[in-house]
Amino acid sequence: MVLQVITGNRLADGVSVWFAGANGWTEHVDQACSYDDAGMEAALAQAKPEDAELRVVDIRAVEVTHEEGKLFPVAHREQIRARGPSVRTDLPAGVWRDGTAQLPPLPSSTSSSPFAGIYRYDEYDRDFLRQRAREFGTMVERRRKGELSEDEFKPLRLMNGVYLQLHAYMLRIAIPYGVLSATQLRQLAYVARHYDRGYGHFTTRQNIQFNWLRLEDVPAALAALAEADIHGIQTSGNCIRNTTTDEFAGAAADETVDPRLYAEIIRQWSTDHPEFTYLPRKFKIAIVGAGHDRAAVRVHDIGIESYRNDVGEPVFRIFAGGGLGRTPYVAVKLRENLPVPELLRYCEAILRVYNALGRRDNMYKARIKILIREMKPDAFIKMVEDEYASLPADYCLLTDELVQAVAARFPEPELPRQDGGVLKAAMLDDRALARWVKQNTHPHKASGYVSAVISLKPVGGIAGDASADEMDVVADLADKYSLGEIRVSHVQNLVLPHVAKDDVPALFKDLVKAGLATDNIGLVTDIIACPGMDYCALATARSIPVAQRIAERLAPKQHEIGTLHVNISGCINACGHHHVGHIGLLGVDKNGEEVYQITLGGAADEKAAIGRIIGPAVPTAKVPDAIEALMDAYLKLRETGERFIDTYRRLGAEPFKEVIYATH
Amino acid sequence: MPLINARAEEISSTAPDVVLPPDVELAAVLPTLGELAVVAVEFPKFRDGRGFTIARAIRQHGYQGDLRATGHFLPEQFLFLISCGFSSFETPVEHEPAKFAAALAKPRQPGQLLRRSLARAREVA
Repeated sequence: MVLQVITGNRLADGVSVWFAGANGWTEHVDQACSYDDAGMEAALAQAKPEDAELRVVDIRAVEVTHEEGKLFPVAHREQIRARGPSVRTDLPAGVWRDGTAQLPPLPSSTSSSPFAGIYRYDEYDRDFLRQRAREFGTMVERRRKGELSEDEFKPLRLMNGVYLQLHAYMLRIAIPYGVLSATQLRQLAYVARHYDRGYGHFTTRQNIQFNWLRLEDVPAALAALAEADIHGIQTSGNCIRNTTTDEFAGAAADETVDPRLYAEIIRQWSTDHPEFTYLPRKFKIAIVGAGHDRAAVRVHDIGIESYRNDVGEPVFRIFAGGGLGRTPYVAVKLRENLPVPELLRYCEAILRVYNALGRRDNMYKARIKILIREMKPDAFIKMVEDEYASLPADYCLLTDELVQAVAARFPEPELPRQDGGVLKAAMLDDRALARWVKQNTHPHKASGYVSAVISLKPVGGIAGDASADEMDVVADLADKYSLGEIRVSHVQNLVLPHVAKDDVPALFKDLVKAGLATDNIGLVTDIIACPGMDYCALATARSIPVAQRIAERLAPKQHEIGTLHVNISGCINACGHHHVGHIGLLGVDKNGEEVYQITLGGAADEKAAIGRIIGPAVPTAKVPDAIEALMDAYLKLRETGERFIDTYRRLGAEPFKEVIYATH
Repeated sequence: MPLINARAEEISSTAPDVVLPPDVELAAVLPTLGELAVVAVEFPKFRDGRGFTIARAIRQHGYQGDLRATGHFLPEQFLFLISCGFSSFETPVEHEPAKFAAALAKPRQPGQLLRRSLARAREVA
């Protein structure tokens, strides 16, 4: 006999609830009523009266087993919904916040970051964000009263960054092109501390997610963030998302064009774009301006490389149709040498073709990458060019006046410090410092400075997670050492972009004290991992525990192994970018068991490639063995100084395949 | 169903001369619209944003008559619809005209941030 319970998530706070018959909805699965097939229909009718949607959403039956007086959901996802994330047993599912508690004043009321290289908002911009927070409050109100159905409300809340996940609502906040001021980071810490459960998660889109929001708190949280010029606008939904870039933009020694200016222009152009806010599917743009692609532009819907032409003017190379997910593609090139005034016009032409012709009958085939392949790239490019040629001459022209108006809002950092030799001397005596400098710093265009990466990947930790206290520490360090400026990288770490070389030993000491001095950037333990089934409603497997086990196993060898990108996704949507990891892992559900497909040879940079699946999926417990065997084989096979990816490119998958499947 | 103008005032109903489906082949249709008084564009579901591009393209082609949104769309989309060139709106049964009027009551103007930046750069200059 199949036993089932009825479950859903409460509208007001997103908490998973279980139907207890005459007692209504309960927060604990053990208190739920269970039904056999015969009783289910009547029970569902009782649980789902006509106005049920005003209180509980996504009401459905799930299978359970009955053991020693307790009910256990059969599906892994439902177990996690019932008990809370498996990786945070300190945070059980259920109600945790008292909504009536008085909150302290906002950090932004006493703190400011006058020298950070963030785009300067004024009161007008701030009013825009305050109003958006109020508008979201109105939408929530309309939803609660039933003026908007769940079906209508969902895209609207998504467009404001609000998802309904397994345990609660998730709020995704945009960090435009990954640039934050210390004050903004403190404001994020405040939201983490008071509206969430004390932490946040930095994502591969250079954004931050809060996992435990109550829907009724979201307008207040957005209002708090608006006071520090941050928001959740267009961080989800079928619209143009946060534009990403190189985390070292404006600082990197190898940069030719600072992409932040154009990323900000694209942000302003795409925010509330009246024509392109209800696209067939989400739309992601990335832009870089250095010799090396640190933003994976070739796996974006539109990828832009900026460089200088023969006379030194910035121009753009435009790619489109790259993407990961269920059908990964490297983008096709549309244009070289596109002049600055034409940037938005060309993007308009691409989006217009996509909005008119992108598929709307099947969400899995709705991205622009599919349209381009179905039309054939040449036909698509011709259509974009025709559309571009037919735009009115002044339409969306990026005039010099406009570029200057936006540029004027970016303060130029003053970087007067020279290298006084302090760092070099300190490194002679301190091997830990020397190793951290080698692994975690990046050359700066000003010779007296470096950019310093703060790893959010401590071995055994959760990739990209930072506690409110850690955010406050990093904000203080940014004030002390980096003009109050912080970057978020697409590999889920933080960066202090402008640190004087002479200050690095002191910074390192402070990081060690705060437990933030992990020296693993670009190494095997610097793993990209999506939240996976511990949090995400879409996931089919967990990502975090697998990343933890791999990191624990390989940490002792990581410096010997050298540069290696391991990327893990908990489902085919590929938020963990597994296709472009040198080693990629995709978690899938096989008859109720979490197993992992291994891909090799992916790359996200200017040599972008989609990794190839090497064979049958590996069970969870065997993944660390498989990766270790792979690494041992690589260490034997590599030539001097050869990275794993280069050895793979030289030898192919064969030698690695053998050792992986010998492990189980 | 009630018909409203871009100020959310109810106006008397007139039949459109043509109703364009969302998958209309624009290149073929644009040259035929010139003298028509009312061109309607259908929204099968508010999430289907093709109508926005159709409206922009029609206006950019020079059509001066009444451009009407029909089908299912939300008060939350009213300002975007207006920005794309729609001038009349057959409001769906689920959303009464008063809710569209409320959507107009916001203090800020619709449109992209970038347009505001330009306008304000000129104000300051």
